[in-house]
Amino acid sequence: MTVLVELSTPVVMGILLGGLYAVIALGLSLVFGVVKEINIAHGDLVILGSYFGYVAMTVLGIDPILSLIIGMPLLFGIGFAIQKYLLNRAFKISMDATLIIAFGLSLILQNAYQLIWTPMARGLTTPYALESFSAGPIHVPLVYLLDFVAAILVMLFIQQFLKRTYLGRAIRAAAQDRKTAHLMGINTDRVYAYTFAISMALAAVAGVFLGLTFSFTPISGMSFLIIALGVVVLGGLGSIVGTFVGGIAFGLAQTLGGYFFGVAAQMLVAYIMVLVVLAVIPRGIFGR
Amino acid sequence: MAVRRNMKVTLPRLRGVLIPLIAVIVVLALFPVIGVSRIWLLYAFLFFTYLAMANMWNLLAGYSGLVSLCPAAFIGLAGYTLAIGTWFGFPWYLGIIAGGIVAAAFAVIISVPVFRLKGIYFAIGTLVLPEVLRFVFTIWAPIGEPVYGGGAGYTVKGVADVSQAQIYWLALAIGAASIFLMRYVLRSKLGSGLAAIRDNDSTAASCGINVFNLKLYSFVIAAFITGIAGAIFYLYQGYIEPVSAFSVRWLVIIMLATVIGGEGTEEGPVVGTIIVVFLYFTLARYAEISLIIQGSILIGIMLLAPQGIMGSLRKTRAYRSLLKLATRR
Repeated sequence: MTVLVELSTPVVMGILLGGLYAVIALGLSLVFGVVKEINIAHGDLVILGSYFGYVAMTVLGIDPILSLIIGMPLLFGIGFAIQKYLLNRAFKISMDATLIIAFGLSLILQNAYQLIWTPMARGLTTPYALESFSAGPIHVPLVYLLDFVAAILVMLFIQQFLKRTYLGRAIRAAAQDRKTAHLMGINTDRVYAYTFAISMALAAVAGVFLGLTFSFTPISGMSFLIIALGVVVLGGLGSIVGTFVGGIAFGLAQTLGGYFFGVAAQMLVAYIMVLVVLAVIPRGIFGR
Repeated sequence: MAVRRNMKVTLPRLRGVLIPLIAVIVVLALFPVIGVSRIWLLYAFLFFTYLAMANMWNLLAGYSGLVSLCPAAFIGLAGYTLAIGTWFGFPWYLGIIAGGIVAAAFAVIISVPVFRLKGIYFAIGTLVLPEVLRFVFTIWAPIGEPVYGGGAGYTVKGVADVSQAQIYWLALAIGAASIFLMRYVLRSKLGSGLAAIRDNDSTAASCGINVFNLKLYSFVIAAFITGIAGAIFYLYQGYIEPVSAFSVRWLVIIMLATVIGGEGTEEGPVVGTIIVVFLYFTLARYAEISLIIQGSILIGIMLLAPQGIMGSLRKTRAYRSLLKLATRR
């Protein structure tokens, strides 16, 4: 029994943390599922969201979560421009081209963050960021719960959006078959730009909650990209439910790995699980 | 056989180039003896090591259709093998070879999960590897605790016995070896098979090509040479720690060199590496914006000339007539 009681905290924390990872990975998964490109700059764009929250908090004095009202449209616009002017063109050259261009973008962003915000680690330290709550033997920081709630809201919203709106249906059509969608009168280039824009709006949400949970530096993007890739690989690329389940699996692997093998090894355990899943079921748990 | 005939069209024999190439290598080998300044030796050293890595990346990405994002894994592993080996009393030259072997062995092991992945999935799978190894080597310290190992890294023991000239020659050897290896591999059956896989792997498989094995061969060759080049680099540096050893910086250098020069062209990495080494030293003055410049170059080249310098040159008429001249001799 005592083992179960002791395990309850890492299990709950893993599940809640998984929500955050799912939000970080969702934009990546969406862009992969629809545009069939891996956005290597996704991690850095998430960090852009974190820095936006940081500026809103320190300069304008707005709560980072509230600042998303401005942050999401802003990143939406940036995302639209990136896909329209860079990646849509690259897409027509070759698959490698999109990968390499996104990589170039990632380098530029990292450098820009360093210039603007210095290499120092930042965090979104709000009054509620340090609170925690207890339920029986379980002690969990409040922000973890916020992460999870945000994850569920975002997932439900995206799922309903893809199901019910015209643009959502167009996105799904373009994802299933680009040529047929084009023949049916869908401007696939514009649909791709909107998809990337939505992915960036999701990155804004992910960035703020990431900033609330962890500290971040200009080069954190790469580690969060790798986490997001791990989540997406676990869940199966392009599936929203899969991303959510993958996020939780990754979060659990991390916290339980930390519990059994020490904090230093927690990410290692999660990554090894990703590699094992790749070897056994390459398309992921919910992959098509 | 049809595939092979086809390859001969795209790969001219270039017999005339072989003798000048050897002459250039001999002249380069004389550099430390004839008293070339140390800074130029350093430029040349970096050129050779990066060239070997870029050539191998080109073999994978340009000729085998394997966009591998894990050269840092091979480089770091080989560097660590060398460094830890010297702590256990092994001489450095054994360490370099062992480094290559360990990197190649790692490639064999890792091929089981990552070769199940195609195209972009393969790229993702390989991107995770250096990160995993970085964690492993941050935690694991086989010797020299608590001062050395883990996050603190290792010095390469006994570097003092190795002269600068020796390190230079080693780098030259691996750089030249990578060029000859590319020439050999691309004109062999392996090269033809790889090209077939790159262009369409299911057709290649139905033509009787063992897709998995061929990919594995090129992956292991690339890992071995990249590893040796990495070990030589760490012999020069004399010190290794996990963050820089498994850093994405390696990928930046290697990708830049290949992409600028021209992915999928034999001479591309040579031209690209010269530019990268040049950039490396000119950008040192603008260190704070060097990544912005490198990123912009990557994007610019990809949008304007996706085949790189050599790829674009090949399309021009002047180059073709020059090639005719060279091959007819």
